Amino acid sequence: MVCIRKATIDDLLAMQACNLFCLPENYQMKYYFYHILSWPQLLYVAEDYGGKIVGYVLAKMEEETTECHGHITSLAVLRTHRKLGLATKLMVAAQNAMEQVFGAEYVSLHVRKSNRAAFNLYTETLGYKIHDMEAKYYADGEDAYDMRKQLKGKPQPQQQHHHHHHHGGGCCSGEAKAE
Amino acid sequence: MASKFGMAGGIPERRVRPVWDAIDSRQFKNALKLSTALLSKYPNSSYALALKALILERMGKTEEALSVCINAKDLLYKNDAFLIDDLTLSTLQIVFQRLDHLDMATSCYEYACGKFSNNLELMMGLFNCYVREYSFVKQQQIAIKMYKIAGEERFLLWAVCSIQLQVLCGNGGEKLLQLAEGLLKKHIASHSLHEPEALSVYISLLEQQAKYGDATEILSGNLGSLIMIEVDKLRIQGRLLARAGDFNAAADIFQKVLKLCPDDWECFHHYLGCLLEDDCSLPSFANSSSVQVSTSTDCQHRHLTDDMFDCRISKASEFLENLMTEVGNDSIRGPGLAKLEIERRKLMYGRGNAEELMGDIILYFSRFGHLASFTADVEVFLQILPTDMKKQLLEKLVKIIDSSSAPSRNVLGQHITFFKIRELIGDTFSLPVKDLVGFAVQMTEMYCQNLPLSKDLDVQESMYGEELLSMTCNVLVQLFWRTKHVGYLLEAIMVLELGLTVRRYVWQYKILLLHLYSYWNALPLAYEWYKSLDVKNILLETVSHHIFPQMLTSSLLVDISDLLKGYLRFMDDHFRESADLTFLAYRHRNYSKVIEFVQFKERLQQSSQYLTAKIEGSILQLKRKAISIEEVEPVLESLNNGSDFLDISREIHSKRLTFNEDLKLRPWWTPSSDKNYLSGPYEDIPYNAREILDKAKQIEAKVISIEKRSLLPRMIYLSIKCASSSVKGNSGVNGFDSKDFSELKSLLELYAKSLGFSFLDAVELVVSVSHGQKSFEVFSSNLIDWMNFAVFLNAWNLNFHETNSSDRRTFPINWQVLCCLLERCISETINSTKPLLSSPGTDLSILIQLVTEPLSWLGLVIRSCVRSSLPSGKKKKKGGPPDQSNSQLCIAVKDSITSLFSMIEKVTKWLKEQIDKPVDADVDFLISSLHREENDDGPGKVVKVLETLVLSIDDLEVGERVNRAIRSWKPVDVVRKITTAQGTALTEFFAICELKMKVLQELKRQT
Repeated sequence: MVCIRKATIDDLLAMQACNLFCLPENYQMKYYFYHILSWPQLLYVAEDYGGKIVGYVLAKMEEETTECHGHITSLAVLRTHRKLGLATKLMVAAQNAMEQVFGAEYVSLHVRKSNRAAFNLYTETLGYKIHDMEAKYYADGEDAYDMRKQLKGKPQPQQQHHHHHHHGGGCCSGEAKAE
Repeated sequence: MASKFGMAGGIPERRVRPVWDAIDSRQFKNALKLSTALLSKYPNSSYALALKALILERMGKTEEALSVCINAKDLLYKNDAFLIDDLTLSTLQIVFQRLDHLDMATSCYEYACGKFSNNLELMMGLFNCYVREYSFVKQQQIAIKMYKIAGEERFLLWAVCSIQLQVLCGNGGEKLLQLAEGLLKKHIASHSLHEPEALSVYISLLEQQAKYGDATEILSGNLGSLIMIEVDKLRIQGRLLARAGDFNAAADIFQKVLKLCPDDWECFHHYLGCLLEDDCSLPSFANSSSVQVSTSTDCQHRHLTDDMFDCRISKASEFLENLMTEVGNDSIRGPGLAKLEIERRKLMYGRGNAEELMGDIILYFSRFGHLASFTADVEVFLQILPTDMKKQLLEKLVKIIDSSSAPSRNVLGQHITFFKIRELIGDTFSLPVKDLVGFAVQMTEMYCQNLPLSKDLDVQESMYGEELLSMTCNVLVQLFWRTKHVGYLLEAIMVLELGLTVRRYVWQYKILLLHLYSYWNALPLAYEWYKSLDVKNILLETVSHHIFPQMLTSSLLVDISDLLKGYLRFMDDHFRESADLTFLAYRHRNYSKVIEFVQFKERLQQSSQYLTAKIEGSILQLKRKAISIEEVEPVLESLNNGSDFLDISREIHSKRLTFNEDLKLRPWWTPSSDKNYLSGPYEDIPYNAREILDKAKQIEAKVISIEKRSLLPRMIYLSIKCASSSVKGNSGVNGFDSKDFSELKSLLELYAKSLGFSFLDAVELVVSVSHGQKSFEVFSSNLIDWMNFAVFLNAWNLNFHETNSSDRRTFPINWQVLCCLLERCISETINSTKPLLSSPGTDLSILIQLVTEPLSWLGLVIRSCVRSSLPSGKKKKKGGPPDQSNSQLCIAVKDSITSLFSMIEKVTKWLKEQIDKPVDADVDFLISSLHREENDDGPGKVVKVLETLVLSIDDLEVGERVNRAIRSWKPVDVVRKITTAQGTALTEFFAICELKMKVLQELKRQT
């Protein structure tokens, strides 16, 4: 029994602990803040019975390109809570938000070549396809698959004349509107 | 941002670019050359000057950078009109910020905004300055101005956010919320709202004012469509309805959410809470992110009659049945747990049946028993079962496992769950030793047998059955506690060491080990394992409690100093950078995150651990320098002579300290850093039922302890001064006056108060212990504090005759009384300190602290006297022989030096004896503690299983890596590591003492 909900800043304490126990990667706290302060709609945690954070997904919208797309930065589920479909739920929540809030056309991610479990999750359960391979992507020299999944996307929201944005890529700044 | 028309700060961009390129590639010397050239061409450009300042700052020439930057600022004010642009300002801002002069950056922007009113770009810069300074009121004012000029929604929201911050984090009254609401209403009437976050802010504003009805109405209206994810909207709706007291409607909404997310426990709790009108599980305010499942049984279904209760419960059951059929997905735990929860509620209401609950738990076990999350899932349900039924449950679970035909991994999982439940229920405390040993052997064997399951796993991945070794360790530690047989403790360590040989990433083992090693005075080993946890970032705040306290009272002064520095650097960096990040949220229009983020910063800033680290870090510096008064003085000076910390102690009672330590990962025997069951007699405590410590009491104790420690640096400073001026004819030389005298007195009073005594009573107690009229036991666990008090008291008293105090009492403390007290204290402590190896839990830290604190401070006081009485240097007297009182003092000081020397000599001698013990004898002693006679229940059985594993490893298919690791494992290596680590800690301590003796000998010669 688990509640998939949007992350709050306080969750970062537990999220980072989660990361330590799950992944060799360990991001700077600044990097988490950068995500949650920029795209809070895309960060989800899995809160288990009793209030314990047992997994999370960290994602962002790409600001560099004109094509509007999301990127999964990090996904983690505590080993005690594997095989419950939590990773799938977290991913789906983030993907939906990319699509519905930001109108993302596709979502990308990197996965270690050796990480079979994750690779299977992305290809078989979630429908990602290999887009490219990046040699020596990880700090320890391992290669990564660059994977993508097409989203339904949605028509670019109309720009209001007074909503200028200083960093281009109008889709990615939380100003998508329901009109 | 703005390099308009190819001009940067009034200079063509092509001329500026090379400077920036040089800066970016860190060629600062070159950059400086280029900037000098640029300045010669544009001597009146404040942008060019600001660039120079930036380069100087990067080169570490901060003073020069500041003066250049101030010149640039002055130039900016002088130059009229066209030269003020955002680029110049933002460059100045960067430099000022890096130099810790945010105020100057702000005044630049204020000046610019005054000069060019209505320039939005400059105003945004100014807003940003106020964000950095956390000036919420000014933020609000400038945002409103911008809103009035541009009419943009985001500026209004910036203002609203700033108002909310005034109420939540500042001292703004709640009335301000009305103002914010009014502003938003007016805007909506004319422009509507366009951003989902704006709507969230609006709703949170209304919620904060308890206007739930209004909020619900808005959410159901047109604006509601801004929230694009349906469940999100429903959740808010449900929450608002529940808070408004419309439980029926709220339950309906939560029912809808459950249909969409059948696994959502939080929603189920809200649903049930609304149905039963039970205040424990009603949704609370939006900002409190999580709902804790209440484990207490005092929830009130206040208004419900029995009939109503039954009716609502059956409604819930019915809904749940339908949901289960609809979902049908086996991997979803939600509906199963929901069923248990309904049974639990019935029991709590007195209308349930424990048998039924147990039946449901068993059902749930057969479905999910193999999962690692099972025990945590059912914990609250187990608690409500009567004791005899808990035992029945265990029996039934065994039967299920035995008849299980599941694949071996799942059976292993079920076994582990069973062991965990047994641990949780805690009936192991009443079992005979023999049974416990049996459990430990059984679990270790199971670990060994199942190693092949993990054959193909990557080294980074957790192996199957890892929990078995942690649980074995738990049992063995309990056996040690019960029997005091050191062999069990050794076995507990060996089990974990073997586990880490097999896979070195298991953080659970490392944490258990670091606590066991700390307990056994092998702190260097504990520290080594702690380091291998690679604790960084925010984990420094949540995880450091495992190692900080014992390191702070140890002889590893360099290591703890490094630890503290690392932690403080992280925290301070965060505080420095967090304001910049806040602006990121404003820019991305994530208003609710702005508030959360500022609150988070406050939470960290008020961390009790942060405060402790700052104070202890400074005391540690003093400890390390204490052999020389000349080296201590600069440290004190850097602490503003200790005054900074006095402010902390004054404010601490009004501050709301936060405790961010994650205590859940601590072992059962030490649920918090100030509690260790192993040091006390064996008693029946339920394993995992973490002690329900009196939180308020604990917090108060912590506050008092921080307050007490924060007085130390100032007391040391004043004592040194006091001692110096006690040398006749010397008062006033170091500026010591009656103000210092009375300040020290008042600090002594505070210190005594924190020990629970009045000043006079404290003096009396110290003196009577010194005379042997009372035993040291009266000081209980505050021995070090009391000895510190005595040292400072004597220093203060030295000056008593000097001062025209109206308080003419005399105090029976003097050098002799003090030294006698300390000598007795040292002797008694040494006599009660048992050999480290054969007596785990020996508290060596008391002796270490005695030497590094009171004895060190006494040394400083003595040195201060000696320095002032030496007829050398500047302090040379005008001539004539020293008068009588000075020669009396002189004799007393001499005696004290001799006494202090002999105290430390005594410690050194004891240490030498410990260190010189041959290691081999120690090793033999420990190994022999694992004597193994077949019919004996004593320790050794678990190690035997491990040894068998090593011998038979080639017969098991565990893969090359694990095979190699296990073959290399030897019990005797573990023992050697422990003795070596104890030796290292003792040697460090020995070195500290030796140095002190050397310096004292020198001092003896001088007097």
